[in-house]
Amino acid sequence: MATVKSVLNESRQIERAVALIKLGARLQVLESETDLSYERLLRLYKEVAGKSPSKGQLPFSTDWFLTWQPNIHASLFLNIYEHLNKVSSIEGIDAVMKAFKLYSEQMDMLEMEPLLSVTRAWRLVKFVDNNMLAMTKCCKCGGHFVSEPYENSRHYVCGLCEPPARAGKGSTARGILLH
Amino acid sequence: MTDEQLNAEIREANLTYLMLAQNLIRRDKAEAQFRLGISEESADLMAALSPAQLSKIASSSMLLCRFRMDDEVVWSLLTNHAARKVDNDTTTRLHASILMAGRHAEAI
Repeated sequence: MATVKSVLNESRQIERAVALIKLGARLQVLESETDLSYERLLRLYKEVAGKSPSKGQLPFSTDWFLTWQPNIHASLFLNIYEHLNKVSSIEGIDAVMKAFKLYSEQMDMLEMEPLLSVTRAWRLVKFVDNNMLAMTKCCKCGGHFVSEPYENSRHYVCGLCEPPARAGKGSTARGILLH
Repeated sequence: MTDEQLNAEIREANLTYLMLAQNLIRRDKAEAQFRLGISEESADLMAALSPAQLSKIASSSMLLCRFRMDDEVVWSLLTNHAARKVDNDTTTRLHASILMAGRHAEAI
């Protein structure tokens, strides 16, 4: 972005970066969502988190979001995100952060382990933006769930209406249980 | 309960609702819209109400906030009444949350 150097803008960027670090975002998210240099982000990360950021590439492919448990978590997050996007004027990374906060809050209320990290949530939004994933309406409950793009909605049934055979068997107490 | 008592209780509920809504909206509008299930216009209007207006609007024989799950599916998930493949309470509540989060003000 070729914006004029502005102290105010920079302070806003730092504020956003700090909020993201506190939510546990990886450095790649910060690099993509702020204009701050890598060196500054690194220093900021160490200052805020008190440790060096994890190294390496982000390992996520779209597959993770389509496996049973993660899919349900991802769907809750994406429904909240889309809701915020539709009814309010916030957008982009701010909407991701807010939706993630609301998602985490729901997990707390349900006493469930939040499977989605803010980095994964951010990836999910990117995948949807690039048409690598989409939301499809379940023909049984009418809810919208994360799916492959171009899923046939006439026959699509979500993982909660029809859990797959082995679903929930290996779940821990704070995972998604069927009975 | 007499009619007067009933109306007093409705007024009380309205007042509590409006005050809570104002608090939520002033703290964070977007978040409040999600929690309350209201549009941006409604949120702006509510946030701008003066205390005098608030109490005037609350004095009504009709409840101002309306039911969010006017839908059998969500309702049966929340109460866990219908026989389903999943009958874990937490999981059905999670399912209901997904359905409710997917509805927004424009759609109602």
